[in-house]
Amino acid sequence: MADAAAQEEEVAAEVEAVQAVYGDDCVVLESYPPHLHLYIKPRTADVASQQFVEAVIGVRAGSQYPNEPPHIELLDSKGLDFQRQKHLMNSIRDRACDLSSCLMLVAICEEAVEKLSVMNHPDGDCPLCLYPLVPEDEQSKVLQFMKLMSCFHCFHSECIIRWWNWIQTEERSNASDSSSAHVPPIRDLRNHKDTRGAVEESMGNCPVCRKVFHAEDFEHVLDLVGNHSSHLSLNDNEDDDGEKLLQSESENARRQNFEALLKSQQENSGLIEPKKNIVVLPGMLLPPPVASSTSETAKESAEEQQREPPGTSEMHSGGSSDRPKTHEQRSSSSRERRVRNTRRPVKQWIKKESGRAE
Amino acid sequence: MTSSSASGRKTLSKIACNRLQKELLEWQVNPPAGFKHKVTDNLQRWVIEVNGAPGTLYSNETYQLQVDFPEHYPMEAPQVIFIPPAPLHPHIYSNGHICLDILYDSWSPAMTVSSICISILSMLSSSTMKQRPEDNDRYVKNCRNGRSPKETRWWFHDDKV
Repeated sequence: MADAAAQEEEVAAEVEAVQAVYGDDCVVLESYPPHLHLYIKPRTADVASQQFVEAVIGVRAGSQYPNEPPHIELLDSKGLDFQRQKHLMNSIRDRACDLSSCLMLVAICEEAVEKLSVMNHPDGDCPLCLYPLVPEDEQSKVLQFMKLMSCFHCFHSECIIRWWNWIQTEERSNASDSSSAHVPPIRDLRNHKDTRGAVEESMGNCPVCRKVFHAEDFEHVLDLVGNHSSHLSLNDNEDDDGEKLLQSESENARRQNFEALLKSQQENSGLIEPKKNIVVLPGMLLPPPVASSTSETAKESAEEQQREPPGTSEMHSGGSSDRPKTHEQRSSSSRERRVRNTRRPVKQWIKKESGRAE
Repeated sequence: MTSSSASGRKTLSKIACNRLQKELLEWQVNPPAGFKHKVTDNLQRWVIEVNGAPGTLYSNETYQLQVDFPEHYPMEAPQVIFIPPAPLHPHIYSNGHICLDILYDSWSPAMTVSSICISILSMLSSSTMKQRPEDNDRYVKNCRNGRSPKETRWWFHDDKV
């Protein structure tokens, strides 16, 4: 009897230890025999955008615990396909069996965290193009991927943006279709009140699980959507350009900048101080020599304009004006700019038309 | 009968082509149970043989599905019909058109030919009586000019069958 009481006390202390380590991520449903729900995320997931998997496991011990290992089940998971779920649960259960007759709750949780940390990468194929998210062989080109923050489903950035643009185009053609009186075919179906309402208010549904995702899910690639929409259209010959652009050095640098910015934003609870390296330069505040609509994003060279998506960094435009430039040079580069600017809407217009003409 | 609108369809985009080749490859390795892809050199139109699942009303029956892919597959849903004679089913019209939400409103680009096939077989398997939809004659008459089922304004009666 005294033994049993002592054992119960030990187990209670163990549950307390788990609670101390996992805090809010541990829900104790029953203190003896212990029954816990644990929200497990990888150790390597300090930054939300770097977390690709998570799991909720239930640990239910019987009265014979710790002589009998507890019953362990997977209650919920994100980012894990069936194979990886199985792998996770098998290794946790193996660990529990190994430790039979020892107090093992903490060790079980550690095992889960450990395994999940190893698995903290997107796995499998992009659900849209069906090619691997992360190519196994070094030779293949690496495409950028992203995940939806709410459901952890991962896609190539390019694929999800293409899909996003498609929806946008449909929305637009729906809007113009419904304003005219004729009866549209398929578009009208898609324009069904549920779909439309959902898209307008909360942006969209995950193509895999249909979970509604919100603006913040898309934020980390939203700048890509805006700047690359013309390059990532559904048109074939533009496709390669878009790929090149996504892989280009300047694009990667821009992405890194954005990551750093996001990080500092998270660290400073949303507040970002202006960059220190912006200095006031002679001529910087002079009224621009060309029309304000085009001068804002004028860049040093036409070459850079081609590589870098327009309008990404206002800083460059400020910095560029310190270079001594004649008015001729300036206006020639901004003329190019203007040409590009006028070309873009035309492209979009073509895209929209072809979408509708189907 | 084949749908006339399919023949006038635009050719597949490069993206659609890549995706379909990938699907075909996956199908060859791991075809959905009860289905057989009839090999042709036409990537844009697949003809698939369906075998009714054992223990259902359609066991030992074989039908043919015709899947036509649009230019912007998988953004747009493929057109899927039974090549007549179509199975007798409350949601399948005698001209082969199928009333199934995922083929129209509920299409998602994450779906594949394989997942469509599984849905269709499941629809067949859960049927409790072999009959045509109530509005079969009216609908088929309306479609006489070879209209694609994707142009129909479907409303999906029930999800039991």
